[in-house]
Order: sequence, then C-alpha cells, then structure tokens
Amino acid sequence: MQSVKSTAAPPRRLLASLGLDARLVFMVAAIAGIWIVFHVLTGGIFLTARNLWNLSVQTASVGVMVSGMVLIIVMRNIDLSIGSILGFTGMFMAVVNTQLFSQNTWWAALLTLLLGLLLGVLVGVIQGTWIAVLGVPSFIVTLGGLLIFRGGAWLLTSGQTVAPLSESFQILGGGLNGSIGGLWSWFVGAAIMVAILWADVRVYQQRARRGLPNRSVALQALLTGASLLLVLAFVLVMNSYADPRSGLPRGMPVPVLLMLGVTAIMMWVVRATRFGRYVFAYGGNPEAARLAGINTRRLTIMVFGLMGLLAALAGAIQSARLNAGTNSTGTLAELSVIAAAVIGGTSLSGGTGSIPGAFLGAILMASLINGMLLLDLPSAWQNVVQGLVLMLAVTLDVLVQQRRAK
Amino acid sequence: MSLATGVPLIETRGIFKSFGGIHALENVSVALAPGEVLGLLGHNGAGKSTLIKMLSGAYTADAGQILMNGQEVRLTSPRTAQNLGIETIYQNLALADNLDVAANIFLGRELLRGGVLDEDTMELESRKVLDRLKVNLPDLKKPVFNLSGGQRQCIAISRAIYFKAKVLIMDEPTAALGPQETAQVNELILSLRQEGVGIFLISHDLHDVFDLADRVTVMKNGKVVGSALTSQISQDEVLEMIIAGKLPRREVLTP
Amino acid sequence: MKRLGILSAVLGLSLLASSATAQKQVVVGVSWSNFQEERWKTDEAAIKAQLTKLGAKYLSADAQSSNEKQLSDIESLVTRGATVLIVLAQDSEAVLPAISKAKADGIPVVSYDRLIEDPWAFYISFDNKEVGRLQARMILGVKPKGNYAFVKGSPSDPNAALLYAGQLEVLDKAIKSGAIKNVGNQFTEGWKPEVAQTNMEQILTANQNKVDAVVASNDGTAGGAVAALASVGLAGKVPISGQDADKAALNRIARGLQTGTVWKDSRTLGTEAAKIAVQLANGAKLSAVAGSSTFNGGPKKVTVNSILLKPVVITKSNLGTLITAKWATKAEICNGVTGTAAPAACK
Repeated sequence: MQSVKSTAAPPRRLLASLGLDARLVFMVAAIAGIWIVFHVLTGGIFLTARNLWNLSVQTASVGVMVSGMVLIIVMRNIDLSIGSILGFTGMFMAVVNTQLFSQNTWWAALLTLLLGLLLGVLVGVIQGTWIAVLGVPSFIVTLGGLLIFRGGAWLLTSGQTVAPLSESFQILGGGLNGSIGGLWSWFVGAAIMVAILWADVRVYQQRARRGLPNRSVALQALLTGASLLLVLAFVLVMNSYADPRSGLPRGMPVPVLLMLGVTAIMMWVVRATRFGRYVFAYGGNPEAARLAGINTRRLTIMVFGLMGLLAALAGAIQSARLNAGTNSTGTLAELSVIAAAVIGGTSLSGGTGSIPGAFLGAILMASLINGMLLLDLPSAWQNVVQGLVLMLAVTLDVLVQQRRAK
Repeated sequence: MSLATGVPLIETRGIFKSFGGIHALENVSVALAPGEVLGLLGHNGAGKSTLIKMLSGAYTADAGQILMNGQEVRLTSPRTAQNLGIETIYQNLALADNLDVAANIFLGRELLRGGVLDEDTMELESRKVLDRLKVNLPDLKKPVFNLSGGQRQCIAISRAIYFKAKVLIMDEPTAALGPQETAQVNELILSLRQEGVGIFLISHDLHDVFDLADRVTVMKNGKVVGSALTSQISQDEVLEMIIAGKLPRREVLTP
Repeated sequence: MKRLGILSAVLGLSLLASSATAQKQVVVGVSWSNFQEERWKTDEAAIKAQLTKLGAKYLSADAQSSNEKQLSDIESLVTRGATVLIVLAQDSEAVLPAISKAKADGIPVVSYDRLIEDPWAFYISFDNKEVGRLQARMILGVKPKGNYAFVKGSPSDPNAALLYAGQLEVLDKAIKSGAIKNVGNQFTEGWKPEVAQTNMEQILTANQNKVDAVVASNDGTAGGAVAALASVGLAGKVPISGQDADKAALNRIARGLQTGTVWKDSRTLGTEAAKIAVQLANGAKLSAVAGSSTFNGGPKKVTVNSILLKPVVITKSNLGTLITAKWATKAEICNGVTGTAAPAACK
C-alpha cells in the first residue's frame, strides 16, 4: 500500500526490499497464530470448515463497514454514527420488506435493499454536508447522528421487533439459503484467480516494458502463487461445509461475497482513482490538498455518503441474518469498526491507513470473539481480551513510530 | 526583459481585501514581466502572503483586477490559476507527506488512462522532470516524508515545471534549507528565468533577494511602499522601506 | 419582617391546601426512572385508568435515567401535593434517601417493578425468578433430558441473574442426575439479538449441533438463537423459551419455531399498583394490603411487604388469550401461518 508508512527497522527493511508491506505480513502471522492457538484450545474445533464458514459470516458486517471507516479516519474525521445508521436502515429495510415489498421475490428483496442503501447514502451525505459546509467537527455531528438514528430506529416501529423477513431478503444474511452453492463457488473462485493472474502479469509486463522497477520474477511468482492458493483454499473450505438438508456443499455465503466485493472495490478505489488519492492527500496535508485545487468539501461529503452506504449494506446483512429488524441492532458496532480499522494500521491522526489491513483487523477481532465463544469464556473476559488486543496493536504502532523518529 | 519594454506577464491593479474589517490589502498594484524575478519584501503581516494567495487563486479580491498579458482574469480557485499557468510553491512545503513523489508532483492533476490513475506514466514523467532538475531520488514510489527539505522543495518546483508554469510564486523557497540546498534552488530559479518564466520571490533574506531578483517591491501594512530595480537601490534603502515605509529620495522607483 | 410574614402566610396556605386535599382526594405521585422506554407507557395508561376509577389524581415525573434527578423528582412530587408515591427506581440503592424522607413525611411508597429494600416501601412486581422457573419448566416439559444451552440476558441487568437462578432451580435435579447437560451458557451483552445469534452459533459449533434444548431469557435473544438454529436447519426442532410476548415471538410460536414465552401483563401491574397506592393513602397498613405477603429475596435480604404477580406461560395452545386480552391482534400473531399445523388461535 502506498499509504502505509515504511520504516527503517531491520525486519521491515527486509520485507520492504521484497516489496511486501510489513504490517500486513505481521497481521497475517498474528491471525495465523491466534487460529492455531484456538484450534488447540478448542480441541480441534476452531479450524473446521464449519467454524471458518461461521467466522466469515460473523466478520461480514464489520468487514463491509471497515473500509469506509478507513477513508473517514484517513481524512482526519471519525464516524460514531454507523452503528445507529446500521440499526436505522436495517429497521427501515425490515419494515419495507414486511409492509411495502413483502412478496417473496428477488426483485422485492432488491428494491428493499436499494431503498435501504439510498437511505444510508442520504443520511451519510447529510452528515457529511453538515461537517464540510458548516464546519462542525465530525465527532460532534456523528455523535448527534448516533443518538438521532438510534432514536429513529426505535421510532420506526415504536420499538417493536419486525419479523420475519421474506426468504429472498434473508439470502443477504447467509442463512440456510444464503450461500451460492458448490458449483457457483468454484465459478467465482476461478474468476477471482483468473483476475489475479491477469492483473499481476499485466502490471509486471507493463512496468518491465517501460523500464520501471519490478520485483524479481521468482518473488512475483511466489506472491501470485500464494494469492491463488489462498483463493483455492477459501473455496475448498467454503465448499466443505454441507447444507444439513441436502448434504450438498453450501459454498460462499452471500454476505461474505458482499464483504469481499466491497473490500476489493475499495482497494481499487484507493489505489486507482483520483477520489482515493485525494482522500489520502487530504489526510496527509489538508492545506496542500486544498491548494492543489481539490474540492475538499465535496470529498468530505462523498466519503461520509460512502460510509452511510456501507453502513446500510451492513444493516441489510445484519437484519437478513437475524431475520428480523430490531431497534438495538448495531449498538456499539461503531466501536468494533473503529477498532478493526485501527488494528489494521489506520492512524487516528490521519493520512495513514490501509484497506487490506483494516480487513485483516476485522478478521482478527472476529476470530477472537469466535474462539472465545467456542471456549465458553464469560463475556466479561471477552471484553477484557478485545480491549487488550486493541491497546497492544496501537502500542506496537506507537513504539515503531518512536523508534523511527529517533 | 523588463516592464518598460512591453505588456506585463501578470499584473494586479488596485486590489483590496479585508478579513473581518481588517484591511489585509489596500489598493495593491504590482506587475511582473516575463523572465523577471521580482522580490516581494515586507514584515510579517505586511500583506505578502495575502497577495500571493490572491494570485494563486486561494483567495478572491474584494475589489480590483488581475491581468495576464493585458487580459483580465478571474482567479476563483487554485485550479483556475493553475490552468492559466500560475504555479505556487508554498513556504510550508505544500506536499502531502504520506503520498509518494510522483503522486505529489501530479496532485490535483493526475494523469488518467481509461478513467483510472495512470501510475506508470506519472512515475516516468516524474523521473524525467526530476532528471531535468538534476534531482536524484532513487525511489519515486516512496512517501515523501523521509526526504530532506531540499529534496521536497525540488519536488514542489518540479511540479511547477512539469505543468509549464508561466508565473511562479515562491514563498520563502529556501527558508528550511541548508546552504548547499539553497544554492541548488537558487540555481534553479535563475535557469527558469532564462526560460522566460516570471517569478515572484518572497524572502526574508535580503542577500538572496539581491542576488536573484531583478526588481523588488516592498509592502507594509497591506500597502505597496514602492518598487525599484535591485541594480539601482542599496540594501539599506530597501531596509528603510521595509521598516519605516520611507521612500528613498532618489528617482529609482519603477511602477 | 414583612417578607417573613408573607412567607409564613404562603406556607400556612399551602399547608392548609395540602391537608384539605388529603382529606378530599388521594394524589398519587409516580416517579418514572426512564419514560422513554416504550413499555412504561402501557403501565402509565393502566395506572391512570385505575386511578380515575378510584377517583384519585395522577402526578408524574421522569428521572431520565438519572439517580440525582429521581431524588429531586420525588421531593417535587411531594411538594406538588402527592399523598402517596409510586417509585420505579432507577437504582434501588441510590433512591433510598428519598424513601427515608417520604417516611419522615409520613407518605407511603410503592416500589414498582424494581425492588427498593426499605420496609417502608411496598413492593409490587412480577416474580422474575418465577419467570425463570416457568421458562425452564416449559422446556423441561418438552425435552426432559439432553444437552441444554442457556442464552442469558445482559450481564449488567440483575434480572438476568435472577432469571438464570430460577431456571437452574427447576433444572437442578435433572442436571445433578446427569439427565440434562449444560453445554453452554453465555450472557447476551445488552440483550442484543445479534449477539445472542453469534453466541448460539458458537455453542452449536462447539457441540457439533448436539444441542437438544435452549433456555432463552427473553424473546429478543430467543429470536437471535432461532436464527442461528435456522442456519443449521434446526429451527423448530429444538425447543426454545422466551419472555415478554413480543409480537415477533408470538408469530414464531404460531409457526412452531419457538416453544413458548412468558407473558407479564404490565397492565395488571399498573392496575394493582394503583389499587395498593390508594389503599395506603387512605391509611391502610402495609401488611393489611389485600393479598400481600413478605419478600426477602433481595441482595440485602431486607424483609418488605409485597405482592408478586404471577406471570403467564404462553404456548401454541393458549395464544388465543393474548388476542382476547387485546395484547396482540390475530393478524400479527398468525401472519403467514396456515394449514393443518396452525394453532387453534389462527384457525
């Protein structure tokens, strides 16, 4: 990632010379370590297809939102309202799905989703405009939003739980019918592998042709090969968990596909579009961005609109998964999302952040909760562990920064 | 070249600007010829920064005109100023620390291919323009925050050169630099002058100004005290203008 | 001097006024802990209706979840002429000074729904431990042995512990004999259904789906657990309890996805509290209140006079009672329920 600051610490230098991001490598290692420890502690349950399948679905809601939060924080803002927006839009979609488009058809579900996403964008844009145009700090505006939209979620039905939702809409939640099956998973997996291969080869050739520096062929082949293997392993695991009714493979859950899609698109946005570039430029030096002729107001509004969209998508996933709209859904989700972003290397002082890092942060946090639940650890201890991991991750960051400053 | 021989490259006429009732600029008129280096001098708060922000499109004037090649222009945003060939290099080094060299050079004017950032071309073009300035940076994909002050200033200048600046505004370009780097930047200024670029040079260092500038304009309390060719005025006289706002008693002043 | 004169005159007048109203009319001051929660509106309507019937006046104040505000609320209710207080305590400890003050003024207090451990206060509530017992019995009746999972309430809510205690009390024998195995019990942070869902998923994973029954502490968490069961095709096959008679839960019961729920009709609570308040205001002794008994099950074991209302178990067979009681409509309960499997209430 262009955005992650490199450093002079020796192991990092080695990784940097290999063209790898030290933080991402470290996080993958940390997740692998956590998984292995849990696997041993749970007596071989953690690393089963079933649990990994569960874990992926449990990560989806935070995973969908965290990339938006990275952009918000990179722009030196914060969004405390996303848990409430999730609850509000989720409740809204539940109401729409049970009262307006209650037919059990794919288009009714899609219309429900689109209306919900629209509401999310609208809410985000209003908050963004408030921040950008009126100059009120995002902390305050979104703190207001946290209260307003939580209240809104309650007011939509006077606190009544809305259930059940149509089976078509439930597909978004990854329930019994919410995965794409073995065959389609192979298709999707194959498509991803072809895309990775094509992109890596193309970039490599182009850079070589123009005489730009490249990784060595062997290293590039190794990295590309590793990515392909990872996709292969993912498909295999998802296809090893069977549907209890038919015994056929479940395949990739829809919410996980959504999460992966969002993450891929956001990585591309950051790397390849002006919008992404400007978000980071603003985070690095707001004045420089303004003087370079970037419309920073519009940028802020767009980023909050995007965050609203992603929160609404998470709202759809959550309510579809729960098969109900409840007014408490998403309470404190903003904290999980911010924690995942920060663990993934997003600096609250702005300018630094990485989408894949934050994605790994979301997986790390979800893995912790998943594993501790398997161990039947009391929730109080779960909170303690999560808090410690968050502090540990940020402390490591601070120490690295201090060493670099010396 | 000088003003006497033709239409100024850029010119302000009777600019007024106030912030909350405080007059930052009052009836300011300055002019710059192609290939001329104009030293803009004055204390902090004399109005230099406000004036250059006006010229770079960051502020708009309350009253008055800005003309380029005799045509009135409206500089409503940094983008319009850039489009007219006015490039500004700010004192606080307006680079985004977290972005790489190429990204900084093309900030706000990224090259696209099929709607997508064309990173490779930008990297190649950056390499070219840096080579032209004889700036040696091994890796253009590294964030600029660990580069030296001089290297960063060179990136800012190469940005202006790449986009073919006609007017270059330099706000304290050497303030943060060591002697060697200062020499490097000064050399660059002179070679740009050779190419016909008009340069506003804002500096505290009178020696530098007298070395580089063809002419000086002194400001005090938001007003222009006067302008003179550096060949016809002494540093003491300029100091007097800066400190006391007093004009020298000789006929050295230019419009 | 003049000022003092006016002051004593006003004081005398107000004393006169209050003693006059005391003889004529009972004024019931209700101190709510947080009126923003929906359910208290139902309670208030019931209290008001009953007071109107008895010819008493209703005053109220909302502490908005603040202990400090509740103390001043209670004082101001007395100043405004309340002759008896109904207090829904925000915090059962922090409210005690106000109760002592009321006692000093001779104003009776009814502690509403939440226990106040002061003998001066008359406690009326549903028996929460009994709710837990009913939940356990409901499940035990259908599944006398096997692996039991417990979806507990919020760790910060004392009722959650009370419910769990009630559940264990019923199941204790079966657990000791080995007929029932406790294979997972998790608190549900903030009673959030989505948390209950994840917890249930992990309990199912840890036990390879070998969960035979789920004791869920309320309908919201039951909804989350049912969603987790549905995702492995077990919804409707594993009995599960609940509480509150949420409309969504009643629909699940009608569909056969939830075994039953425990219904606490807050309207009964309001009506009974109003009756007690008027009796006390008219000089009845605490122990003389009709149906009263003593309760000492609080954390400090203080003995108070109390009436603990019996919650009602709702299952597929008696869903109709809720329609008759106008708690929910037939359309709400029976939404999407058709065919031969439909309960009597939906036919």
